[in-house]
Amino acid sequence: MKENDKSVEHLLRSLKERAKELNCLYEVEELFSKSEITLDEISSGIVRSIPAGWQYPEVCVAQVEIDGAICASPGFRESPWALHAALDVQGEIVGSITVCYLEERPAADEGPFFKEERKLINTIADRLERRILHEKLKRVFENQKLTHPQDHEWEVIIDLLRRTDPKLLTRLLRKMLNYLSWAGIEDADRILATFNPSMSGGSATPGMDDNRPVHVMKKPDLLSLTEEIFRIASDHLSEKEILNNIQNWIKEDRSGFLVKILENAGSSLAEISSAIERFHHLSPQGIELSSPRERAFRVSLIRRLLSDHPQFINTAKQYLDVNDFYELLHRVIYPAGSHGRLGGKGAGLFLASNMLQKSRADGEDVSTILTPKTWYLTSDGILNFINYNDLEEIVEQKYEDIGQVRQEYPYIVHVFKNSPLPPEIVTGLSVALDDFGDTPLIVRSSSLLEDRLGTSFAGKYKSLFIANQGTKQQRLVALMDAITEVYASTFGPDPIEYRLERRLLDSHEEMGVLIQEVIGVRVGEYYLPAFSGVAFSNNEFRWSKRIRREDGLLRMVPGLGTRAVDRMTDDYPVLVAPGQPGLRVNVTLDEQVRYSPRKVDVINLRSQTFETVDLRDLIERCSDDYPLLDQLVSILRDNRFERFASATPDPETGFPVATFEGLISRSPFVEQMKNILGVLQREFRMPVDIEFAHDGRNLYLLQCRPQSYSETSQPAIIPRDIPRHKVLFTANRYVSNGTVASITHIVYVDPQRYAEIKRHADLVAVGKAIGRLNQSLPKRQFILIGPGRWGSRGDIKLGVSVTYSDISNTAMLIEVARKQREYEPELSFGTHFFQDLVEADIRYLPLYPDETGTAFNESFFTQSPNVLKDLLPDMAQLESIVRVIDVPASTNGLVVSILMNGETDEAVGLLGEPSAEPVTERAQPSEIEASPKEDDSHWRWRLRTVHELTARLDPSRFGVKAAYIFGSTKNATAGPKSDINLLLHFTGTSQQKKELVHWLEGWSLSLGHMNYLRTGIAIERFLDVHFITDEDIRKRTSYAAKIGATTDPARPLPVGGKVPPSVT
Amino acid sequence: MSTQSYNPFETAQHQFDHVADLLDLGQATRDLLRWPMREYHFSIPVRMDDGSVHIYRGFRVQHNDARGPGKGGIRFHPMETIDTVRALAVWMTWKCAVVDIPLGGSKGGVVCDPHNMSQREVEQLCRGWVRQVSRNVGPVLDVPAPDVMTNPQNMLWMLDEYEVIHGGKYPGFITGKPLSIGGSQGRKEATGYGVIFTVREALKDLKLKPQGVTASVQGFGNVAQYAVELLQQIGGTVVCVSSWDQGAKCAFSFRKKSGVSVEELRTITDPFGGIDRGKAQDLGYEVLQEDAWIEQDVDMLIPAALENQITRDNVGRIGKGVKLIAEAANGPTTSEADVALCARNMFVIPDFLANAGGVTCSYFEQVQSNMNYYWNKDEVFGKLDTTMTSAYHAVRETANKRKLTMREAAYVISISRVAQACKDRGWV
Repeated sequence: MKENDKSVEHLLRSLKERAKELNCLYEVEELFSKSEITLDEISSGIVRSIPAGWQYPEVCVAQVEIDGAICASPGFRESPWALHAALDVQGEIVGSITVCYLEERPAADEGPFFKEERKLINTIADRLERRILHEKLKRVFENQKLTHPQDHEWEVIIDLLRRTDPKLLTRLLRKMLNYLSWAGIEDADRILATFNPSMSGGSATPGMDDNRPVHVMKKPDLLSLTEEIFRIASDHLSEKEILNNIQNWIKEDRSGFLVKILENAGSSLAEISSAIERFHHLSPQGIELSSPRERAFRVSLIRRLLSDHPQFINTAKQYLDVNDFYELLHRVIYPAGSHGRLGGKGAGLFLASNMLQKSRADGEDVSTILTPKTWYLTSDGILNFINYNDLEEIVEQKYEDIGQVRQEYPYIVHVFKNSPLPPEIVTGLSVALDDFGDTPLIVRSSSLLEDRLGTSFAGKYKSLFIANQGTKQQRLVALMDAITEVYASTFGPDPIEYRLERRLLDSHEEMGVLIQEVIGVRVGEYYLPAFSGVAFSNNEFRWSKRIRREDGLLRMVPGLGTRAVDRMTDDYPVLVAPGQPGLRVNVTLDEQVRYSPRKVDVINLRSQTFETVDLRDLIERCSDDYPLLDQLVSILRDNRFERFASATPDPETGFPVATFEGLISRSPFVEQMKNILGVLQREFRMPVDIEFAHDGRNLYLLQCRPQSYSETSQPAIIPRDIPRHKVLFTANRYVSNGTVASITHIVYVDPQRYAEIKRHADLVAVGKAIGRLNQSLPKRQFILIGPGRWGSRGDIKLGVSVTYSDISNTAMLIEVARKQREYEPELSFGTHFFQDLVEADIRYLPLYPDETGTAFNESFFTQSPNVLKDLLPDMAQLESIVRVIDVPASTNGLVVSILMNGETDEAVGLLGEPSAEPVTERAQPSEIEASPKEDDSHWRWRLRTVHELTARLDPSRFGVKAAYIFGSTKNATAGPKSDINLLLHFTGTSQQKKELVHWLEGWSLSLGHMNYLRTGIAIERFLDVHFITDEDIRKRTSYAAKIGATTDPARPLPVGGKVPPSVT
Repeated sequence: MSTQSYNPFETAQHQFDHVADLLDLGQATRDLLRWPMREYHFSIPVRMDDGSVHIYRGFRVQHNDARGPGKGGIRFHPMETIDTVRALAVWMTWKCAVVDIPLGGSKGGVVCDPHNMSQREVEQLCRGWVRQVSRNVGPVLDVPAPDVMTNPQNMLWMLDEYEVIHGGKYPGFITGKPLSIGGSQGRKEATGYGVIFTVREALKDLKLKPQGVTASVQGFGNVAQYAVELLQQIGGTVVCVSSWDQGAKCAFSFRKKSGVSVEELRTITDPFGGIDRGKAQDLGYEVLQEDAWIEQDVDMLIPAALENQITRDNVGRIGKGVKLIAEAANGPTTSEADVALCARNMFVIPDFLANAGGVTCSYFEQVQSNMNYYWNKDEVFGKLDTTMTSAYHAVRETANKRKLTMREAAYVISISRVAQACKDRGWV
């Protein structure tokens, strides 16, 4: 209740203030409307009216000065709490209006003054300036009439200017002279030459190029040439042309104040904002500016508010004009004296939406795409916040050890969330909330470094959903809480590490914030869009060779787009290539159902939380509220899809599946997205990715940025000078972008031998062998190379019959198309489990070894030692068909990496030193040299700590006979995500085992935490311990087979300081 | 090179030769049955969405129609070969004969990958296929059906094209149609129910009462669900089913020792038999390892999921009490495992017989479409029961008489029926 009262009170108070201000304005207007009133009378009237219009009339005094004549309230004196407005008549300051508080009052927007009060004083000044000009002209005109009558209208103007505004006349003369000279009029050139003799040749300016200062002659007075210049003009130009030019130049001159503000690097956003406001009021229809001036305005505004990136400015200046900024600035919140920008996300969105709007106006086929209502908090807001709360020392935090950064991060979040935002920001947010109402909001980071070319920071900074329900005060608190959390994420370990890797740590980073309404509708107790997703103008996941890169890709999900942005482990988005909407990823009924989205992200308005709910449940409960359901959902009945009519849970009447069929084939949506992507890619001159959402009525653009790549999907640089024997294969068709590195094992199914298999059972056995290798080889460190179509069912002769679970741990799936007698086999492109591959980031590559210009080192695959029989002794009979190559063992410690570049359609698999691995090779030249990371650190400390662990392990207490290590730690390939594989030879009692497990759990937890501090990756079971018994060792069953194995043999570790029994 | 490689048609011929020896068939009969009677190879031009024309290769193989019009699916497969189509046509002949329905065996296909085609292009391909063979197929000649990568929608396009060409309504031209356009009632249940009809008869032979008999089932798709449903109706208890988990990318077994409930599980199962693990636990099911279904202490196993599931590796883990295996899936037992089962004297109802309920129902669909009069569900199930029961007994008798395994007996009886029909017609 109390909160409520407070906000009502606040509202009343501000309404009263606005009323007072209006009254003041009316009184002043009244003064001006009196026709016979003199300037002096107006001045004293203004001085009288002002105090009552200000917040603290009791201490408010005013003064108006015009041409030295001063009119002031009684008791007026200058104080530190003052508002000034200069009176600028035709570029000349003729006086000022000053409002002062005689005593200190609490701070508001500008010192103790509201920003409305600033507007008011500016308005009064504007009104007064016009009156002064009017008076001046009147006087001149009267004189004019008396002295000499004129023939030409323009002569009247020139004469007038000569008396009132010689500076303006000088500028006009200069322009006229240039204009005439451009028109090729020699008389004009002659006059110009008097300013610089070297220009006498006309257009050429040879003297200017010399490396010495240009000698300028004494400056002749241009004003004295007025008569001559205009004589020349009237000789060569028509009456109308002269008049038009003069009028245009004078008009343009009136925008001079804006030039001044924009060209001054010191002017604050507040000044820019009020200058633009004034510019807008000069002529709301827009002033006709000459194109260079217009362009200068655009560029200055873009640089000040959006970005100083040359490429960005170059693109943006074609689409944004001063009026766009006028609209924008109404929704920008900034600290006093701000020099901030909107940040990457804000700038990208603002530009993209204007770009689309203008393309539409130009007749491009881009149907309406709206932008959600957005408020912007400028990037320096965070500095202001830090400064306001004396948190400066946190800025240095980025230079600390990453482990320390991680450890301190929760503390920073805590401190930030408990620190207040400065009052001027709070006031701004309050206005924003009034504008938004109680629509759920998303608070998105928009930092300066974010979303720039090559540094997407994707997912590094926070974006937070807030339900925005409750009283105004509650909503404001929740909003501020979210903003401070976004601020805190600037100092999170992930972005700091990301900046470290890209050498951006020293670059200045500021965090802007976007406050955006969440697009959606109420569905039951939830709030969500009908569907949303991300769209890429370049398709990096082609499932058919008919799909080209430029056909793009849409990843769509029902509900909030969070599920489309990230890869999912338990669900799938709907994929469509907008350029080829007919070519679906999923063709059979089984695929269409298996790979359909089942879950929906929503905002629960009741509990005010972000939730994931089951799509079927949602449809059953709220099908009437859910928009576009008939376009998103099909009913599976009688082995085919029917259009959605109503949601019935009865299995007899059908099963709802989110196919998006209606949207794709019966609505213009896909075509619309294709056009949007086309326009954006063309205008940004680079591939882009966008986020979008649809609320059932309209499509909204939520974000636009240069297409981002995950760490492993950057286009790789293909080296040109690789020695032949290091190359395993090359490819030049259907290549996507990315790097697959640190491969230690290759599973090669010999195409020739596979084709020769005569028994069906043997073909089946190959698939089984792959499934078992998938379990025993180190995860994501092996690749599968095989003939034809991986995952063939039924006709398994055409490719190895595997299911996704048989290949789930591979890093890459390679299909080899060897020419058969008369035809080349058609490859599958992984379509049997395409979406599983996409979500798990398993890469796919087709090889066409018989094509000219490609290399295929067949002898490496067929001659290297085969370790299959050691891994799967019972499948040794497949040795000639399935070849498992332990790469380091057969190449003296080398490993394989596959570099893929979709831009040039090239890929190469090559052997290299493990240390020289191009782990994060990128195509942006500026970043290649980055990331000198010590890659071996992960396995080193793992090995060290394991030694420590086993040394402390008391063999008699726990009944442990020996300990072994195997896997990535032993192989020196462990990465940040690797666990530690331990093998314990156990001979104790069950009680001892219980104790041992307990003891190890403690180690596992603390080592896991250490790894988390180092890398930020939490691993559930950091120590993966396997127990083996005497019997296992005797029979070589279970993990005992690892001891003395050929591939990845377990290595004994000293236990309790003792050396373990030697194993042969 | 390709002559050396695995060739399904050669395998089919070897299988035939083996049985032909058992039956002591004459040379002419062998020559006739070793090869298809007719093969059509043709080109299908399709105007693609981008305006270009792509030529697809199509086939229809009619292996033998001595017992009636040919019956067999149409496959869309990017690496279709004539030998695969031939082998499948041969198997269709035997499959129809084993349940003694008056149909021959055919198969067709197109070399194409629907993943590379739009729906419009697929429609053109379907219509193009019919245009090429419309004189050689039809309700009284050869009846196609859906198969690998073809679906009911494709069948409707084909039917429509056929009817346009022949100027009449011929719903009996094709099967696998939706219920609303000439499909048959009971199609969904047919295969699963058919399995249990044969199981019921086998239990009589094994002197077991259906009441109280226990079973463990691999899979929970269409076939498994209806098999479990009917088995429970006749008094049996299913204690374990397994199902693929799309999230975990592996299968799990779900056990309830007091017996699983189909109705209950269906509410938490997606259309392809994926059971929601969490919800199953809430309903009191034990969630076990993927292959736990095979180790259950039950009277019978019903593998109703994929091929090659009972292997040399796990055949030894089959519970001691298991007396019967009903192969509801296609080829669930590998040949090595089959040898081990024989050695254990396990009673196996071979896939060929056990899952013939599907093709029987297709036959019913064709019969109903031809007379343009449709039966209700009970009528369909009644007729299905009769067909499956007599098929089972015929195979069982042959097995007893000739001292053969059920699998061998099923081949023997079907090949002898086809051979007899050829003889009766005076072909050989």
